[in-house]
Amino acid sequence: MSPAAAERIYRLLLRAYPPDFRAEYGREMVLLFRDQCQESDLRTIGFWAAVICDVARSAPALRAEAWRSRGSQSTQTTEVIMKLAAMLTVLLGVLGILNAVVEWVAGSTGTIQGMHALSLGLGVFASALLLTAGIALLRPTQGGRQAARLALFASLVMIVAARLLFPWMSVFSQLVGIGLPIALLIALYWPRKSSPVGAA
Amino acid sequence: MGYLSGAREAAIVTKRQAGRPPEAYLPLPPATFHILLALADGELHGYAIMKGVAARSEGTVRLGPGTLYGALKRLLEAGLVEEGGERADPERGDDRRRYYRLTQLGLSVARAEARRLDALVRAARRKKLIGVRPA
Repeated sequence: MSPAAAERIYRLLLRAYPPDFRAEYGREMVLLFRDQCQESDLRTIGFWAAVICDVARSAPALRAEAWRSRGSQSTQTTEVIMKLAAMLTVLLGVLGILNAVVEWVAGSTGTIQGMHALSLGLGVFASALLLTAGIALLRPTQGGRQAARLALFASLVMIVAARLLFPWMSVFSQLVGIGLPIALLIALYWPRKSSPVGAA
Repeated sequence: MGYLSGAREAAIVTKRQAGRPPEAYLPLPPATFHILLALADGELHGYAIMKGVAARSEGTVRLGPGTLYGALKRLLEAGLVEEGGERADPERGDDRRRYYRLTQLGLSVARAEARRLDALVRAARRKKLIGVRPA
């Protein structure tokens, strides 16, 4: 077997490695393989067994490291998105309280029925809980996350109850009041891997 | 772990790694220690590291390209090794090769590992596991 043919085979074996690793070290690895070819007998099984063992041992580990690295990058993106969602939740919680207060003031010129008043009260509470959940999400602690889950769940229950008691909220408010807690709860309960760091 | 902990944990670990003492990197995998030993003499490219390791281990440790450059990648990321530029090795032809060298941290870690192994060897001698003729 000629050194050129051996090198072609090795370049094919290099595809087992992650693309980023190949781009960074592929040329050096081919150079090293070329050096090994010069001082070894390419026709022996031992030579190729050593080459294949090297690829079989190192490529999967590097692929696994590349996967973990991508996982930690997506975790950072997710964290940014969740922080933005937390700020939006705080804002919507404040707007929800204001909306309910405005509705109360507007309704107080006439007579607010019992169910209407109760529903408004539930709406204020739900908005306050949404506000609390948003603040808790901005605190990167285990306790903050748990508090956010509880607040979001309670907010969702109160919004649904308020809607069933008296439909004073607009369609948009209902969509936000129900959809946002559900979306955040899904994000908080979605299973994620932590990003392990290995030593050299 | 939730979304909030991943990036923060990585940041804490990165910050922690920046102030890690050399002993925190121990024990080193054998191939890694061999590479650090080879680089203790000065800058070397991949082939020279491979030959140095094979010679020092009397042929028992043979690093293939994947194992060698995988280990070098991890050592670079950990800050134990740094690149020393590219140049041709006159003995190996005209191809430009990347050279590597130990950082101060890498040297400290290599020394710490050598002390650890030395302590183990002394303990083995006290137990008469080495330095004693087999029965």
